[in-house]
Amino acid sequence: VEPSDEDLCRKIAARDGAAFELMVDRHQGRAYRLASSILGNEADARDVSQDAFIRLYESAGRFDGRSRFSTWFYRILVNLCIDHQRKNRWWKRLAPLASPGDNPDERAFDPPSTEAGPEDDAMLKQSISRLRPALAKLSPQQRAAVLLQTQEGFTSREIGEVLHCSEATARVHVHRGIAQLRKLIAKE
Amino acid sequence: MAGIHPETELIPYLRGELSADERARVATHLEGCAQCRQSAEASSAILSSLARVVEGVRDPDWAEYRAGLKRKLRASETSSASVRERWRRMREDLRLPVFGGWPSMAIGAAAVAVLAIAIVMHRGSGNSSAPGVDQLELQQDLSSTDVGLLANYHVVEHLDLLENYDVIEHLDELGPGNPQNHETPS
Repeated sequence: VEPSDEDLCRKIAARDGAAFELMVDRHQGRAYRLASSILGNEADARDVSQDAFIRLYESAGRFDGRSRFSTWFYRILVNLCIDHQRKNRWWKRLAPLASPGDNPDERAFDPPSTEAGPEDDAMLKQSISRLRPALAKLSPQQRAAVLLQTQEGFTSREIGEVLHCSEATARVHVHRGIAQLRKLIAKE
Repeated sequence: MAGIHPETELIPYLRGELSADERARVATHLEGCAQCRQSAEASSAILSSLARVVEGVRDPDWAEYRAGLKRKLRASETSSASVRERWRRMREDLRLPVFGGWPSMAIGAAAVAVLAIAIVMHRGSGNSSAPGVDQLELQQDLSSTDVGLLANYHVVEHLDLLENYDVIEHLDELGPGNPQNHETPS
């Protein structure tokens, strides 16, 4: 039987290296993708998601099990993403988020293929390519709220736990984020 | 349209997060409100596109990622160990022989001494900032003597102090502020 995240967390608190490895195996993809979507930059996403795992290792003993492990871990990750964005705000103003393809050294953004025909696929790619820069214009809280919902399937209550706010405020973050995205896309 | 637009409840409604009562209320509203229906449809489309955005993020080289994570973890453990060691040494250093096993007493005594010095220094600086009566009198005397010099400043500014000492000595005999009453140096 696979140990639960909560069990692994308890073992990590007792400095069990194998448990930590297994935990990273389980969450690295989701953590990296969420960080990448929030930060809009792959190098930053790698650094910040790694830092989140380090924090997990260091503070596993403080996980009290009152919330789900994923809520607790994503709170660490999202806080690190938001802090990272705050620290780099002045720099981002000078060098706005690069669009896919701007930097040949970075991997090009490549939406996954769909089962729909090539025409639908092109439309989907176009829609996604407009969404990505629009996402970058949301506030960090709104972006995190929207992405936690779409990527992690978090409920408003869980989003509230991650963002340290009430369920009602989390709903407002999601609502405003989606409304802002609609507005930004309609402008184009 | 029925009642207030349940704007923030539309997405939870679409995602099935609402309680039965809330769900029924939003559903009733949607039946009568074309604006909210349109908003819900648009939001739903954005949500499904957003899911694709996330899926479109390409994975890094995981072996490299894990190697980087291991390096960071080692660095973090080394740094934590060095911080712990520094604390241990500090604790040991504080156990001075004079104070035996009472570092808190030593810190407390030092704090009291610093506080006493600060109070004394503060009082001293307070005296110097407010001049005493004698100092004020001296300042007044100087001011009254300086007035004569200032009244004849146009003379003084043309004098070479060493060569015109006589003129300076009898400066008070000149009429105050009269430019024709002075000797200019040749």
